[in-house]
Amino acid sequence: MSIRIGIPRALLYYRYFSLWHTFFRELGFEVVVSRPSHRSLIEEGFKFADDDTCLPIKMAYSHTFYLKDQVDYLFIPRLLSLEPGTCFCPRLAGLPEMLKYSIPNMPAILDPYVDERYRDSRFSHALSKVASTLGKGSKEIKQAYQKGEVAYQLFRERLKRGEKIPELFSESKRESFPLQKDDLMKNIAIVGHPYCLYDPYFNFNLVKILENVHVSIYIQEMVNKEDIDFEIQRLGKDIYWTFGREILGASLHYLHSDQVDGLIYLTCFACGVDSMIEPLIRHKVKEYGDKPYLCLMIDEHTGPAGVLTRLEAFLETVERRKVDRRKA
Amino acid sequence: MKLTVPHLGHMDIFLRAMSRRIGPEFIFPPKTSPRTLLLGTKYSPESTCLPFKFILGNFIEALEKGADTIAMISDRGPCRLGMYDVVMQQILKDLGFQFDWITMDDTRLWSDYLIRFNRERKKRGVSVWDTLQALRFSWKKVRLCEAIEKSVHKIRPLEVKRGETTRVQTDCFKLIDEASDFRELVLSHQQCLEKFNRIEKDDSRNLLKVLITGEGYMVINPHANQEIERRLGEMGVEVTRTMWFTSQITYALHLDFLNPRSKRNAIKASRPYLKHNIGGECSASIGYPILYKKDGYEGAIQVLPLVCMLEAVAKNILFRVSQEHDIPILTFSLNENLAETMIATRLSAFVDLLQERRERKKNG
Repeated sequence: MSIRIGIPRALLYYRYFSLWHTFFRELGFEVVVSRPSHRSLIEEGFKFADDDTCLPIKMAYSHTFYLKDQVDYLFIPRLLSLEPGTCFCPRLAGLPEMLKYSIPNMPAILDPYVDERYRDSRFSHALSKVASTLGKGSKEIKQAYQKGEVAYQLFRERLKRGEKIPELFSESKRESFPLQKDDLMKNIAIVGHPYCLYDPYFNFNLVKILENVHVSIYIQEMVNKEDIDFEIQRLGKDIYWTFGREILGASLHYLHSDQVDGLIYLTCFACGVDSMIEPLIRHKVKEYGDKPYLCLMIDEHTGPAGVLTRLEAFLETVERRKVDRRKA
Repeated sequence: MKLTVPHLGHMDIFLRAMSRRIGPEFIFPPKTSPRTLLLGTKYSPESTCLPFKFILGNFIEALEKGADTIAMISDRGPCRLGMYDVVMQQILKDLGFQFDWITMDDTRLWSDYLIRFNRERKKRGVSVWDTLQALRFSWKKVRLCEAIEKSVHKIRPLEVKRGETTRVQTDCFKLIDEASDFRELVLSHQQCLEKFNRIEKDDSRNLLKVLITGEGYMVINPHANQEIERRLGEMGVEVTRTMWFTSQITYALHLDFLNPRSKRNAIKASRPYLKHNIGGECSASIGYPILYKKDGYEGAIQVLPLVCMLEAVAKNILFRVSQEHDIPILTFSLNENLAETMIATRLSAFVDLLQERRERKKNG
């Protein structure tokens, strides 16, 4: 029987799953991904999680707990930085240890150390080190990584074109109510960490709800890297968080352009990155003044009714603004 | 130019001594008070950490007092400290304050600061010798203040009249702050020592020893950690803390190789638990209890601001350190809703636990 490698469906899975999947599958391992988040799965893991962290980290605990007895190895990479001058949230860097020491009877953890600022800890190096500890030859590994890289680029391309990739835009069984439809077509940008945006349990099927009421959705992955860099340069402050930079750059881009009618920032309670980026966006929204903005902060106690009420009010504002502009 | 800086340990004593000798003029924020926190909380984004709120409150109060230039350190992540400057500038500007902002970080080389400092020095006509003397003098002052704090940590649990040591400590800081040259400084130091000798002590007490570790700002500032040192001292516990103004500087300048309890060694000690140093004080907070356990410290307290990005990692790992090294660790994550009774209750329960452990060990 082949070795089973478990990947929790949480955090950076939502960005790199195509790379990881392809890489391990090409090497002949069996990849087991935890099921999409649902109530019992999530709540079971909460008892191991510490209350000082954010909801996505707690959800990572749950997914890991769900997987731990089904696999030989758990794949929980330790990502510090993917580009010179930027870094990830430190909680992601400490995640392997946090999980290891909090959840009992954990299987062995594969925790490649990825820090692109140093040569020997690049993504490719880190992954090949992991694969070679599992007894794979370097030629195989290289080929598998190349295929993974291709798959990842393809995934980014598809996202950029606005395709709805089924792994990301799935639907959750979480209870939520449909909103009332109206005929006016709206374009709305949603920004936020990938693990907030693409986990439908976390955001109460936000994407589906909006699509049902004729909203076409723009995400931060659709913005070119050059545009993000340009916006950050114009801001005059180098943002060092990978996702913070993306979120801020993309929101400023959307606020400047006529592509969208409104902006939604999806964030979770206790997120350090969002707590600093959000005030900046809020300030810019006031400065430009012509696009409605909604900041949805979600934690484990948030109910669907609260989210939907705010969403409804937001959509109405967008619509009124649009009608007014058409009249003027 | 009327510079201001946030309160951080004895930094104000250091800078006041510098500025009296070679300038520039400083306007320090008033002592951090409940009003400071109230102001800071009111104008901060709701989910920022406690240090942000305190520092913003400090700045508002300093600007009200007439400061016109703010100097603030910064870094390049992963902690949100590096973003403080943009967000704070924006908030203060929205409040209608006029000010200049100086960010001190390592994106521009330190040599750049040295050149600027040199230019300023020449403009003011201060010689290099005077500058070096001023630096030496201010450094000595801070060292003295910290030495006083260290003896306070030892003496306070022994005092017979409660509160006497704290009074003496305040007097001593004032004496040292007022000294204007080396000779006066020596005299005030002697006066301080006399004052300490006059405190009535009960030497028969067998003291518990507790370490205070955690996020730097929270550990170094008594106003941020609700005077945890004083509270423990009055319960009859000898404390020490991991963060000092001077130790931070010697760490940054790589001058702490002789100190066995340095941050560098703490990070080394944390390696078995956290493979890579992820920045801030996270790794050090894990390592310090291991180091101090060898010195006979029986417990540790980790202080962190609620929703801190780094210390939350350390908190999770400290559970295991506590088990494996047999050292009880109490965690305080504090936000602006500081409930004094909560802190007092948890501290006294912790002290009881340590006492009981000691008894149990004695009885076999």
